[in-house]
Amino acid sequence: MRTFLSLLLAGTGCLLLPTAPAWAYGPAPKYAVADLPAPLRENAHAVIRRQEEALLVKSVGRTVETTRRAVTILDEVGARWASELVYYSSLNTISYFRGAVYDAAGRQLRQLRSQDIHDISLSDGFSLATDARGRVADLSQPTYPYTVEFEYEVVSDNPLFYSTWRPQPVEQLAVEQASFKVTMPAGMALRYQEQHLPAGTAQAKRTQGSQEVYEWQVHDLAAREEEADAPPVAELTPTVFTAPAEFEVQGHAGHLSSWADLSRWTYDLNAGRDELPPAIKAGIAALVQGETDERAKIRKVYHFLQANTRYISVQLGLGGWQTFPASSVAANGYGDCKALTNYCKALLGAAGIKAHAALVKAGSDEQDVLTSFPSSQFNHVVLCVPLAQSARPDTVWLECTSQTNPFGYMGGFTGNRHALLLLPEGGKLIPTPRYGAAENRRERLANVFLDVNGDATATLRTLRTGLEYDGVSGLPGLELAEQKKRISNRLALPNFTLNKVAFKHSGPEAAVPSLTENLALTMPALAPPSGKRVFITPNLLSRMAPPQATVGERQTDLWLDHAFTQQDTVVLHLPASLRPEQLPAPVQLTTPFGTYSSQLLTLPDGSIRYVRRLVMPRTRFARTDYPAYLEFRRKVSAADKAQLVLLKTDA
Amino acid sequence: MISPLLRRLLLAGVCTGASVSLAQAQADPIKFGKIDEADLTPKNFAADSAAAAVVLADFGRSRFEYNDGDFKVVFERVTRIKILKKAGYDYATVEVPLYHRAGSEEKISSLKGMTYNLVNGQVVKEKLNSDAMFREETTPNITTRKFTLPNVRVGSVVEYTYVVTSPFTFNFQDWTFQRDIPVRWSEYRAAIPEYFDYKMLMQGYEPLEVQERNEGVTQYNITWSSSMEYGRRSSGGAQVVTPRVTNHRWAMKNVPALRAEPYMTTTADYEAKIDFELAGIKWPDEPYTAVANSWEKIDRELLNSDNFGGQLSRPAFLKEQMTALLAQHTEPAARVAAIHDLVRRSVKHNGSNSLYASGSVRRAYDQKTGSAADVNLLLIAALREAGLQANPVVLSTRNHGRLETNVPLVSRFNYVLAHVALPDGKSMLVDATEELAPCGMLPPRCLNGVGRLLLPQEGASHWIELKPADRLLSYQQINLTVDEKGGVSGKVHQEHAGYLGLAQREKLRKLGEKKYVEEMAAGHEGWNIPKYAFKEQTALHRPLTLEFEFASAGGEAPVGTIYLSPLRDFGTEKNPFLHEDRRFPVDFGASLDETLLVNVTLPAGYELEETPKAMAMELPEGGGRFTYAVQPGAGTVQIMSRMSLARPVYSAEEYAYLREFFARMMAKQSERLVLKKKG
Repeated sequence: MRTFLSLLLAGTGCLLLPTAPAWAYGPAPKYAVADLPAPLRENAHAVIRRQEEALLVKSVGRTVETTRRAVTILDEVGARWASELVYYSSLNTISYFRGAVYDAAGRQLRQLRSQDIHDISLSDGFSLATDARGRVADLSQPTYPYTVEFEYEVVSDNPLFYSTWRPQPVEQLAVEQASFKVTMPAGMALRYQEQHLPAGTAQAKRTQGSQEVYEWQVHDLAAREEEADAPPVAELTPTVFTAPAEFEVQGHAGHLSSWADLSRWTYDLNAGRDELPPAIKAGIAALVQGETDERAKIRKVYHFLQANTRYISVQLGLGGWQTFPASSVAANGYGDCKALTNYCKALLGAAGIKAHAALVKAGSDEQDVLTSFPSSQFNHVVLCVPLAQSARPDTVWLECTSQTNPFGYMGGFTGNRHALLLLPEGGKLIPTPRYGAAENRRERLANVFLDVNGDATATLRTLRTGLEYDGVSGLPGLELAEQKKRISNRLALPNFTLNKVAFKHSGPEAAVPSLTENLALTMPALAPPSGKRVFITPNLLSRMAPPQATVGERQTDLWLDHAFTQQDTVVLHLPASLRPEQLPAPVQLTTPFGTYSSQLLTLPDGSIRYVRRLVMPRTRFARTDYPAYLEFRRKVSAADKAQLVLLKTDA
Repeated sequence: MISPLLRRLLLAGVCTGASVSLAQAQADPIKFGKIDEADLTPKNFAADSAAAAVVLADFGRSRFEYNDGDFKVVFERVTRIKILKKAGYDYATVEVPLYHRAGSEEKISSLKGMTYNLVNGQVVKEKLNSDAMFREETTPNITTRKFTLPNVRVGSVVEYTYVVTSPFTFNFQDWTFQRDIPVRWSEYRAAIPEYFDYKMLMQGYEPLEVQERNEGVTQYNITWSSSMEYGRRSSGGAQVVTPRVTNHRWAMKNVPALRAEPYMTTTADYEAKIDFELAGIKWPDEPYTAVANSWEKIDRELLNSDNFGGQLSRPAFLKEQMTALLAQHTEPAARVAAIHDLVRRSVKHNGSNSLYASGSVRRAYDQKTGSAADVNLLLIAALREAGLQANPVVLSTRNHGRLETNVPLVSRFNYVLAHVALPDGKSMLVDATEELAPCGMLPPRCLNGVGRLLLPQEGASHWIELKPADRLLSYQQINLTVDEKGGVSGKVHQEHAGYLGLAQREKLRKLGEKKYVEEMAAGHEGWNIPKYAFKEQTALHRPLTLEFEFASAGGEAPVGTIYLSPLRDFGTEKNPFLHEDRRFPVDFGASLDETLLVNVTLPAGYELEETPKAMAMELPEGGGRFTYAVQPGAGTVQIMSRMSLARPVYSAEEYAYLREFFARMMAKQSERLVLKKKG
């Protein structure tokens, strides 16, 4: 599954009106490091000294983004700010790109010359063709600190995207001064939304001739640090989102004041491209003939799509937004996410089923779209099929770019978030399928056969469902040697040999997909005798390490975004000469953060059964709850490493 | 004196270059468009069921043509691939990189593609369309042509063919027999006229099925227009030449997929491949002109090159700093270290490896950033300025592949560093690209066999071993105090030296102290680290030292028996060699030494119930050694565990021993101490 890149690349960066750069008047010292307030250096790899971003909206069809950024680099890690990459494409042109570097005293060392700027292809590695390119320049220095300054302007004929101003996007970066200015022509309104602006930083609006000028400023933002189980820093720092109220891309004009507006415009851009060749239409009609169940019909069509198409990405100009016609996919057997979704929609149409494309911000680590601010925030499209015959409202979601994705499964790539339905009358945001602790399960049964020397053999059966399945779904398709390599890297055992690897997928009827992995392994010296005793941790494979204690006070909310259920059963089959000296006591923990239980039991045949269960929901807590959460995790960790002591009866 | 024919070859204006091989040709293994229907039947692929796709046949052919006044290499290829799984769809998308430089370019032509599917028992063919072909400007010198075949499904056979015409005769098309999917048949033919002398280098671990050569005659029709020369008008004309040609043919059958393994230099060192390098040219009626046929010649050319030897002259721009530095340091070794430091602080390595300076070392100095050659050529120049006997050593980095000393090719070098002969007869290798490596340490990427020391005296240059002066070295001294509840508090003194010191310093720079310690603690259950201190961070020639204290809580109440795994948190956590078999050598780059010294203080009134047995084991032929000893004292126990791997490289045959060695060591290190309350 992949995304269409053009959307990701657009709408980055922004800034100021093109005035002559200061250094044109002679290199007076600037950005001396001595001028930097000490609190800004604390915990920072780099400090943004001055950043001016400006968005000049020329018309509904053109914007000019200007950026000027001076960054003092304090150490090697901060040196990522010493180079700059400016994107361009067939719809975005770079008007200028300049730079200079200053020593710690603020004396200019040199300016960027044209031969220092390299033009590179931004081929993403999966697109067959893309017009995304970049100019890149590096002003790194051998000693720290130093300051780099970059200035560039990008003219865009794709004003679907306005700038997002986020002067402090990552941790350990301080900001001395940053400003954002948007200039709108007469008669055009700016839409914007502010987040986490420091108290007192109001937006200033003034009239300049016939134009409206909006301005924001922040200063002296100390570096932040990312904390464990917390939202990303970018979500917690000052941000201004902006968007057009009206725009025009390559002759396609649109309004944007609601999600319905964006839905309608995108729908119209892609309308009328779903005509199928008669042979395919007839084939689909034959495929579903006699099938009365609606869901079964959709499944047949989806499997036809998966068997006959593949994902090939071509992102050129408007093609980043507009789909290839269904006839092209029918002829070539490939397309990108828009084309394959459009094609699948057409195929379903031929089967008499109505479906809607839905825009989504895809990615396993992506945060959801900002639902309160209608704007183009998406990078992918999926298909949403409402079930017309279902007694209660029900929907099948289809990922059309994957040839192997289970039917109706969104997974970590597009699940647990919002999608925008594309409808001619204007659609709304609707939630994609939720995958919670009940869906994301890992259930494991281990039978461990220990011999008198402490060597062991074991069989392991592991069932993974939902998001737990995502990480292993590709394993069965790999060659055996590669399967063994990946499994070995994942198993938390010090030393072993994998003797058998087998997989079984869930049936097509499963509500959430699953994979069962069956392993057989030998574990030499799993529990070598120490004198007359043998030590073994019954929780062989699922020990959860405690989180590192935070130094100082917790700053951010606790955000547990991955829900799961783990169930482990380990049966230890012992040689006759070993019996337990002591069984660790059972543990039961019930907290708002999660529930945990573990217990050991001697079975009638002398073997020992260990059962562990951990359920973690998807939740958010105030930062003041963090110590209680730590305590829970510590107790889990302590219980997880409880040790079983066996005594040699013949010693 | 240029012969008349050669002049015509060089000056000809209009030429038609039809080449006719007069030799009897071997039948082609495949012809585009002529598919075997059996390739569409699944039962023929039972043996390849694990592979995503399999190359049925890959057939390449190179020959020379003469036109537009030059010889050109014409490379034709036909490739046929069976798609076995959806994961193999990517093999239906093809990229052909084309090189261009100074108005000369490689050109692609006759690109055709076809997909074959079996539909209801019928073979359905679908052509590659021009709208599925794209061009990308990949780098300033490389344009990539990309195309993808239509209607690819599981079971499809895809086929494509193209011709690349290249004016770069020095860059005769190489051929790789092996890929990351199995190859059933891979064949390459090269028809080389007597004018061109190529060195051919075969490498890899797979046998050739066919290796043939026969002599023939080829024919070039040359026409040229009239021109003015030496004030005389020469008339246009035409001539037919019929040089001898050698027809080579190489083929491999059922080549397994090539897979990367841990501790390898680069997969390119192991793939089955044939390389060509132009060694000389022999025009009719002319003496043989060597292009690069001896190391001595390569030595000279490098030393005379503007971008190499030309950068070694005295760096006037460093004069001021050098004067101060030389006044301060008088000992040669101290001068080397000081100059190493100066260069490292003056020019930052931009991460790229190179043999030649990218511009001039002066420019790199002004820019304060440069390639490895920029940095190290400046280093050599500065060392010479200080009166030291410094010379370049050229080499191939691990990623660039093994260096074959029996084949003189300048393209096999991609790196240069400094050799310094000291007055006491000793010498050292110095590299200034690594900010955190001490003077005298070879960067890990340079630990790749041999390098060539280039000396100014004719014939004096020679090979030297790139022997690491440093090891992978760790030493930990741990004092553990156990309480009656089984809780443990510890004081740890940890040293990382040599290449481990470099790796840990890099990690520390990346993470910062706090995150470094957090990350270290995260690997250990129940550790709480209230205090830590790093030492010798900047004294690069000394071990990076970390001292810390940790505490791990025990149970609720005192216990009569305490079980302790004192080495568990400090030894090897996971056997690095979990896979049963190995095809290629294990290449660590340097030897390794790991020492653990643990002192345990028992709670008052407790004693060691039983003393674990001592152990000593060795790898065959002195390859490595592990020793373990326990020494009980009054209320204390001392444990010493030491592991050393003596060699940087172990053969694939030694892999099983290495694997077992680690397994046994880890078993020993995980042994428990049982502490019992007395009485």
